Amino acid sequence: MERKDNNQAKAPQGEAARILTEFLEVAITCIIFLKGVYPHGAFERRRYMNVVVHRARHPQLRDYIHSSVNGLLPFIQKGLVERVVVIFFDNEDFPIERFVFKVNLNLSYGSKVEQSDLEFSLRSFLIKLPVSESLTKLLPRGCRWEITAYFRALPEASTSKDSELIWIPTDTKQWQQPPLITPIKSMNSEPLGVQLYLEHPSLSEPKP
Amino acid sequence: MLKYGGRFENYFSRHHVTHIICSNLPDSKIKNLRSFSGGLPVVKPTWVLESVAANKLLSWIPYQLDQLASETKKQPKLSAFGFKSGPVLDDLEESISGQAVPQSGIATLRTSCSLEANIFGKAECTEEVEECHSVSDDPFHPNAAESADQAPTYCMENHCEVELDAAVVVQSDAGYHSHISPCQDPKSDHNDCLEDHIIEESSSSKTIRPSTTGHSTLSDANFVENYFKFSRLHFIGTWRNRYRKRFLSSANGFKDMNPSRNAFATSQKTTIIHVDMDCFFVSVVIRKHSDLKDKPVAVCHSDNSRGTAEISSANYPARNHGVKAGMFIRDAKALCPQLVILPYNFDAYEEVADQFYDILHKHCNKVQAVSCDEAFIDVTDLRVEDPELFARAIRTEIHETTGCTASAGIAGSMLMARVATRIAKPDGLCYIPSEKVDDYLHELPVKALPGIGHVLEEKLKKKQINTCGQLRLISKESLQKDFGVKTGDMLWNFSRGIDNRLVGVFQESKSIGADVNWGVRFNDLNDMKDFLLKLCKEVSLRLQGCGLKGRTITLKIKKRRSDAGEPVKYMGCGDCENLSRSVTLPMATDDVDVFQRITAQLFGYFHIDARDIRGAGLQASKLESADRNMRGHEKYSIRSWLVSSPARKSSMAKGKGDQLYSDIGPPVQARGSFSGGEAYVAHRATLPALHDLDVGVIESLPPEVLSEINDLYAGELISFISKKKEKNAGNNVMDEEQSLSNPLVPPNKDFVHNVAEKIKSSEKEDEQYINKMIQGLPETSGSVTALLPETDSLMPSSLSQVDSSVLQQLPEELLADVLESLPAHRRPDFMSNDVYLDHIRDQTGAIDFLPSNNLWVGNPPRWVDNFRLSSCQLLNRIAVLYNKSSPRGQFSSVLQLIMSEYPLDDGGDDAVNCLCELMKQYIKLKIETDVEEIYTCSCLLRRLTSRSELFLQVYNCIIPHLQAAVGETYGGDLNICFIE
Repeated sequence: MERKDNNQAKAPQGEAARILTEFLEVAITCIIFLKGVYPHGAFERRRYMNVVVHRARHPQLRDYIHSSVNGLLPFIQKGLVERVVVIFFDNEDFPIERFVFKVNLNLSYGSKVEQSDLEFSLRSFLIKLPVSESLTKLLPRGCRWEITAYFRALPEASTSKDSELIWIPTDTKQWQQPPLITPIKSMNSEPLGVQLYLEHPSLSEPKP
Repeated sequence: MLKYGGRFENYFSRHHVTHIICSNLPDSKIKNLRSFSGGLPVVKPTWVLESVAANKLLSWIPYQLDQLASETKKQPKLSAFGFKSGPVLDDLEESISGQAVPQSGIATLRTSCSLEANIFGKAECTEEVEECHSVSDDPFHPNAAESADQAPTYCMENHCEVELDAAVVVQSDAGYHSHISPCQDPKSDHNDCLEDHIIEESSSSKTIRPSTTGHSTLSDANFVENYFKFSRLHFIGTWRNRYRKRFLSSANGFKDMNPSRNAFATSQKTTIIHVDMDCFFVSVVIRKHSDLKDKPVAVCHSDNSRGTAEISSANYPARNHGVKAGMFIRDAKALCPQLVILPYNFDAYEEVADQFYDILHKHCNKVQAVSCDEAFIDVTDLRVEDPELFARAIRTEIHETTGCTASAGIAGSMLMARVATRIAKPDGLCYIPSEKVDDYLHELPVKALPGIGHVLEEKLKKKQINTCGQLRLISKESLQKDFGVKTGDMLWNFSRGIDNRLVGVFQESKSIGADVNWGVRFNDLNDMKDFLLKLCKEVSLRLQGCGLKGRTITLKIKKRRSDAGEPVKYMGCGDCENLSRSVTLPMATDDVDVFQRITAQLFGYFHIDARDIRGAGLQASKLESADRNMRGHEKYSIRSWLVSSPARKSSMAKGKGDQLYSDIGPPVQARGSFSGGEAYVAHRATLPALHDLDVGVIESLPPEVLSEINDLYAGELISFISKKKEKNAGNNVMDEEQSLSNPLVPPNKDFVHNVAEKIKSSEKEDEQYINKMIQGLPETSGSVTALLPETDSLMPSSLSQVDSSVLQQLPEELLADVLESLPAHRRPDFMSNDVYLDHIRDQTGAIDFLPSNNLWVGNPPRWVDNFRLSSCQLLNRIAVLYNKSSPRGQFSSVLQLIMSEYPLDDGGDDAVNCLCELMKQYIKLKIETDVEEIYTCSCLLRRLTSRSELFLQVYNCIIPHLQAAVGETYGGDLNICFIE
C-alpha cells in the first residue's frame, strides 16, 4: 500500500519528466539546426506543440539526440539531473559556446500535471530560440558538439543498471574563468522549471 | 414510574422494551416463553415499586415471575449484583448462538452502533416477534388512553413493558447501566415512537448515557470522553497521577529521612516486600458480594452477546477454568459456561487503591508504587524482626479494610520479591531468603522475569533457554553480544537474582497522552478533525490536571491495512499499520488551540483516507512543570524585563547620537522601519512601543540580548536604532519624541471624524487606530500647525500629511478609500518646506526601508503600498505603474512602462535606496527560477540609466549584487556590464 502511494505521488513528476525529455529532444535539434553545424538540408520542418521546428533527417544524428536525452529520463524523474548542456567545441576541443537547460523538478509536488500548461510554457522556448541567434557566436569551421548532462549527485551504483550506462567524460577542456551568462528563456510551471541560457567564455578567458 | 424515566409500551417492540412486567402468566405463555417475551426478563410489578422506593435500579432477578423462576431453575442464578446477565438471557444466548449468528450479523450491520446484549437477544428472535405482537396486542390497546400518571399502576396489573431510565441506573452504580436499557439507534427513536405508541426514554436520559447508544466515533458526539470514562487502561494510567497528588508528600518524606540510603542499602541486607492485590479488578467489584467469591467471575467492559469483548481480569475460580485476561468473552464462556461477567466499577477501584496505599504508607514510608494494586515497600530501615510477620499484618489489614485479598512476597531485592509474590499468589505470602534465591530461580521460566516480553522470550527459546537456570549457564559477554549491552546485563543479573534497583520514589511520567483505538470509525475528514479536537481537549485537560506542559507533540494513527477486513473484535482496530509523527515546539504548552493546530498539521502529513483510520493517539512529551514553565518564562524572557524597566524617553540618546553617527556610515545602511500592519500591532500589545525605548540603553546591551529584543520586535529594533542615530545626526529641528511618537495627523479634527465615521462599521481594532489618531491631535506640535496654511477642505492638503504609520494599520479597503479621497499633492508649495520635508522623509523612510525580505510578499506585493505612500513622486508613479503592468508581478513589465514615462524626475537618495532594496529582493526571489526576468530587468534598467541619474545609481548599486547572486547560482557572470 505504502509503495503504491509513493508511486502515485511520483506520477506527476514522471509525467513532467516525460514531457521534458520530449521537449529537450526537439529543442536540442533546434539548437543544432540554428547553429548551422550541418547543412540545412539535413533537417526537415515539422510541427511540434503547434510550432514549426526542425527535425534531423539523418538517422544517426536523430538517434544520438534521441537516445542521449531518453537515457536521461529515469534520472530526470528522480530529480537527479541539474543541467542538460549542448556544448560546441572548436577544432581543438575547446568549448566555445554552451546552451544550458537548467532543470528543476519539484519532487514534492503532489497534484496532477496540467500537460497543456506545461507544453504552453515549453513552447515559448521553441519560439524564443530561433530569434536568439544574434546572441550566439558564429562557429568556426571544423567544430563539433555534444550533449552533456550535469547531475546533482551521482546515482547510487547499486540502485539501477542504468547507472552503468553513464559515461563520464574525462580530459575535457574547461574554461578557466566563470563564463558569461546570457539568459534566453525561463519558465516555471509546477512541478517543472526550465531555464535556458547561453554560456560564453569570459572576456578575460585566456585564449588557447 | 414515568417520573423515573420508565416507559410503558402499548405494543411489544424488541427495540424499546426491556422488561415485561406482569404478576401472572397464562400457562400457554409460560410454555412458549421465548416467543412471548422475546428473551426479555419477565418481572413482577414489585420490582418497579421497590426500585422506585430504593431510588435505584434493583436487579430484577429476585423479582422474576415465580412461574418462570421455577422454570429456569436449572440455569445458574446471579445474585442481586449481577445486573443483567440474567438466566433468561443466558439461556437465550446459549441456545441461539448456534443458529442465529447470520441474522445477528445483519442486525449489527444495520444499526451502525453497537448493539448490547439485550437487543441482541431480541434481534435473534425475529420470527417470534410477530407472534408476540399478536399475543400482546389485546391487553395493550386500552392502555393508549391511559394518562401518564396512571401508567405505573396500570403496568403493575397488566402485561406491559417497561424501560427504566438509564439515569436512574447511573445513580445507582457505575457503568453497567448500558446493559439495562437497550441500545437504540438514535435516529430511529422518534419514528418508532410514533409507530409503536411506545413511551420513550426521556431525551434527558439520552444525554446521560451516550456511551450506551454510540459505541463508535460515528454515532457518539462525546465518544472520546466516554471512551476514557469506561476504559480500564485509562484508569490505571491516570491513577498514577492521582497517587502522585495524594502521596507525594509522604514519598518525599522518606527521601529526606534517609539522605544516605544508598550507602545504607549496600552495607545492610535489604528486605523488600512486594505487595500485590489478588485479581484486583475482579475482587474489588465482588468484595461486597460474598456469594460470588467462589464463583468464576470476570470483569469486562461489555457483556455483548457477540462475545468479542475482551476480559480484562478474571478471578481465581475463573482462572481455574482456563479463563484468562485478554480472552474474548465467547471463548471464556465456552471454557466456563457459568462465568459471571461484571462491569468495571472505577469508583470502587479508586477507593480500594487509596485504602491500599494508605495502609502501605502507614506501615512504611518507603513505598514504590508500581500500579494501582501493586507496590514495593522497603522495610530495611524499619529493622523489622520478622518480615513475614510484618507482611502478614499488612495483608490482614488490607483484607479487613478493603475486603480484598493481597499477596506478598518478601526477598532481598525487588526482583526476588516479585518472584516471591508470584509464588505466593493467590492470597498468600512467600519469603525467599537470600540463600534460597538460587533454588527458586533455577526452575523459573525466563518469561517470569521482568523485562522479558514475547520478543525476548522467543529469542531465548530459539537458543533453547527456557528457565533461569539455563540462562545462568551463558556468559555475560555472550548475552551482551546477542541482546545488546543493557539487555544482556539485565538478563545476566536477573537470572542470578541480582537486582540493584532500589525501592525508589515515584517516577514522574515522561509523557501524557490519550489513545483511542477502539470504536474509531470515520466517514470523512471532518469527522476525523472533530475527533482530533476532542483528543486535543482530552490531552490538554490531562496535562492541566497534572500541572504539566508538553513540548513534543506526537500524533499516532492506526491505519487499517488495505487487505484487512472488519476486525473480529467488534469495533476493534484489527490489523493496522501504526503511523506516527511528532513535532517539537519551542515552548511547552497545554493549550488546546495549539494542540489542535499542531495535530491538524501532523495529520496532514499522513495523507490518509479517514475511513481507514482505526485508532488515534495524541501524546505530549518533554514535559515541563507548568509552574516552573511560568516562572522560567518570567525569569528568562527579556520581555518581562523590558516591560518592567523604565521606558525612558530617548532624550538621552540625542547627545550620543552625534558621536555614533560616524560609526554607521552612509544613510543607505539605515533601514528604519515600522514594518507594516499586523506584526507591528501584535507587538504593541505586549511590548513597549519602539519609540519608548532608550536607544542608549539598548545599545549598551550585550549583542545576544540585543538580538533577542530585536526578535521580539520582529527585527525592527536594529533598524530603529540606526535610524534614530541617523536622525539625531541630521539637522532635525523637530523634537525627536514628537517626531516619532506623535503621528503627523493633520490638525483637522473633522477629517479624523470623517474617517472615524467611515470606519464605524468595521471592527473594533480599527476604531482603536482612529482613537489613536484623535488622541494624537491635541499633541500635534505647534510647529506643524503653524506650517499648515488654513484650508477649508475636510481632507488634508497632501498625502504626505497623513501619518503613514497610522494609515498602514488601517485595513486594506479603508486605506484605499482614504487614499482615494486624498489629493496626491494638492499643494506642492507646501512640500517645499525643508523642515517638514525632512520630517516626512524620516517617516517614509521608516516605511520604505523594510529590512526583511518581505517587500515582494503578498498580492500586490508590499512594496506597492509602501511606494504609494512614499513622498517621492517617482516611487508613487512606480506603484501606479505596477497596477497597470501586465503580466502582474513581473518587475520587468513595470520597468517597461517606466520606459514610456516622460519626464523622469529624480527622487533623491531615498528613492534610490528603496529601488535598490526592491531590486535586491527581487533578484533574490527570482534568481533561482527565472534568470531571464532578472536579465530583462537589468537590461531595461540599463536603458533607463541614460534617461535618469537615479536609475544610473540604482543600476550601479545592484549590479555587483546581481553578479554575485548569479555567480552563486549559475557559476558565471550575467552578460551585462557597468556603466561609467
